[in-house]
Amino acid sequence: MSRLEELKTRIKEALPGLECVIGWQKGYDALHNTPLFMRSAEDVDKLEWGALNVHNPAVYLPTMAGKKVGVVVKGCDSRSVVELLQENLINRDNIVIFAAGCDGVVDLTKVKAKLAAAGTGAGVVTAVSADGKTVSVTAGGKTVAMPMAEVAADKCLRCQYPNAVLADTFVGTPAPQPTPVPSANADLDALDAMSVPDRMAFWRYHMDRCIRCYACRNACPMCVCRDHCIAQSREPHWLSQDDSVTEKLMFQVVHAMHLAGRCTECGECQRACPMDIPVLALKKHLNRTIHDLFDYQAGVDAAAIPPLLQFKTEEVNIKERSW
Amino acid sequence: MPVLTGKELRIVGFLCNWCSYGGADTAGVGRFNQPTDLRIIRVPCSGRIDPLFIAKTLINGADGVLVSGCHPRDCHYAEGNFYARRRLEVLKRFLPILGIDPGRFDYTWVSASEGQRWQKVVTAFTEQIHTLGPAPRFDAVAPELLAKVAGAISQGGNRVAA
Amino acid sequence: MAAVKYISREKLPEWLKALAAERRLLVPVEEGGAVVFRAYDPAKAPVFGSDATAPPKGSVFPASKELFSYTYGKEGEDAKPTLTLDPKTTAEPTVVFGSKPCGARGFLIFDRVYMGKKFPDPYYIAAREATVFVTMACDTVENTCFCHWVGSGPADPAGSDLLLTPVAGGWLVEAVSAKGEPLLASPALTDGAAKAAEAEEVKAKTRAALGEAPDISTSKEALLARFDDMDFWRDQSDKCISCGACTYLCPTCYCFSITDEGSGMSGKRLRSWDACMHFQFTLEASGHNPRPTKAHRLKNRVGHKFSYYPTLHDGLIACCGCGRCVKSCPVSVDIREIVQNAVAKAKA
Repeated sequence: MSRLEELKTRIKEALPGLECVIGWQKGYDALHNTPLFMRSAEDVDKLEWGALNVHNPAVYLPTMAGKKVGVVVKGCDSRSVVELLQENLINRDNIVIFAAGCDGVVDLTKVKAKLAAAGTGAGVVTAVSADGKTVSVTAGGKTVAMPMAEVAADKCLRCQYPNAVLADTFVGTPAPQPTPVPSANADLDALDAMSVPDRMAFWRYHMDRCIRCYACRNACPMCVCRDHCIAQSREPHWLSQDDSVTEKLMFQVVHAMHLAGRCTECGECQRACPMDIPVLALKKHLNRTIHDLFDYQAGVDAAAIPPLLQFKTEEVNIKERSW
Repeated sequence: MPVLTGKELRIVGFLCNWCSYGGADTAGVGRFNQPTDLRIIRVPCSGRIDPLFIAKTLINGADGVLVSGCHPRDCHYAEGNFYARRRLEVLKRFLPILGIDPGRFDYTWVSASEGQRWQKVVTAFTEQIHTLGPAPRFDAVAPELLAKVAGAISQGGNRVAA
Repeated sequence: MAAVKYISREKLPEWLKALAAERRLLVPVEEGGAVVFRAYDPAKAPVFGSDATAPPKGSVFPASKELFSYTYGKEGEDAKPTLTLDPKTTAEPTVVFGSKPCGARGFLIFDRVYMGKKFPDPYYIAAREATVFVTMACDTVENTCFCHWVGSGPADPAGSDLLLTPVAGGWLVEAVSAKGEPLLASPALTDGAAKAAEAEEVKAKTRAALGEAPDISTSKEALLARFDDMDFWRDQSDKCISCGACTYLCPTCYCFSITDEGSGMSGKRLRSWDACMHFQFTLEASGHNPRPTKAHRLKNRVGHKFSYYPTLHDGLIACCGCGRCVKSCPVSVDIREIVQNAVAKAKA
């Protein structure tokens, strides 16, 4: 039995005791999968498993408090579930986790670039097939074969947890941990290489096209304030309604700082951005700082206390300035 | 026009009520000479300072931000400054990736009796900000610089061809 | 109607430069992978191939528009405080060049709201009248395109002032409105009569590529019939993450919010885009919210476009079928599917 078939069987078994199980199904075209809320056996038959399951279903869990729900996760998604558990934002007794080994998901932005380079476009895709090593996309009558290593999401290229870190039902054989690819951090490397004034110009350039839709925030599984985010509050008045780069960037700082020590780098903020703004680089940088300072990684141990919710009287890695 | 216009820079200080604000007061009562660029905002504890206070201050054009609280182990609320230390250190390391010089922000500890230390801190920090000069603004980046960074991460995968 | 003209690819920059010399010229350009409308820069080639990521909505209806600035003053102890208002109703003459027909057609939905007899909006009217749309008919269709569902098409001239149709070597240029005609005066344009037949072929071929539209003529009643069916809306909105991408990228979404941004004795009043997908959209001062969940909010978005607006405006659907809400949705919520589900349910 394939992983997918076994997943379906196990979900069908568990479904009677659950409000729903969250997974993925085929979307409006061959290139897009979309989140699936399974409430009946018929729904379960629509379940997909593979490289197009780009979304992180953990984002829906905090909104379903009080209900017993199931969730199908990739390794990275499971880290979000664990981080939510670490912060008591969800109740372990109300969550049933289904998982299988993940061979990586695509970054649709990279797929689009490949299609454009081949003289066709993502808007006319008619078929997609993936075998773990190669993704073949047929668009506008042309079939373009793309090595998975070139179109996989950055997070997959440096994935440490291809298998869920926490699962109630794990089906199939665990996936091997991929060898990290240097280009996985190209965005952060490029920023590191810039001078400080150049970085200001960089954010000015990219934030200018932000439409303030808050997709980055709403796609983030750790952004649990949702309807009560300080970005849209008038009192306190953190952000104005001005269409200015400073307001837009300030929101990214709000998002990043509120994720300090909590972000599992699932990349949903950047994936969700309709304007393709490289906002994940800020969180990557922050995670590197958290790792350097506190030797900590979010969402791997449900019992761990996040680093900014604790302290040491003598900090090992903080060297304070002497005046 | 005030006599100091053009000579002073805009520096914002967040000081805890119990130690550093008292320290600044002690420096004043002792008539220690200090630069006048710093505007103080008194907060209950350094642990009350959301790093976003500092980020917003800098992004909106302040030339420098100084935070000062009670010395570690001396916090009026026992541990506020221990949490603050972690947050402030994370913020200090975060600022440069935004394009803000990390020298524009510092945090330190000054007790209520340390008038002289306060004088030293303010003088050193103000000098440091004057060396850096007025802060560049996000909304006033030169077009040449924008053109230079436009393609900076074109190879990083974050790109859709049109 | 003026004679049809032709502009070659080589001559296009000459025309654009001439247009830019006289007014603000907005063209679609690539920025960090997205395509957005920006002031024309001869050094940066416009992108006319695929539809822009963001429509030219901001050209007439900016994301944030200063309505006026204000200053309070007070002279002396006993004087009454004074208030000075500085309204900002003037609009810069603008040409929006290279939008697809759907992007320009969106303003027809705006016009009925902001240029009606009851509440004419001086800010919108000034900007609308100062703006000329030079539109490019499509020669390819994408999976998310559905302009033919809503009474439009890939060469729909409605809402445009000039219509360009891609032909070999350049574009056929047709004047659609009197506002567009003066733009044809440039020497870069030559007579286009010989290309007219080819352009008609392109238009017919593109339209044929869209295929037949499903019948959604009953959407008005079908969606109204589902108004209290919250189970239906729960199922449709389950995956929605309640962000504003669909709304802000929509050429027809015209809702706004008004805020005062002041400091001390002066400030400004802003009108900025609002999104019915956000909790704050209907949040009342008392704390009550008539649309507390994303299901309520998505119901409003779909219902407004395909039921309430057409009911008020002669059956005109408040959607131009550009497909941005589908394409740019982080979780691929498909408005076409929701409308069809409602229609199917009404039939059942």
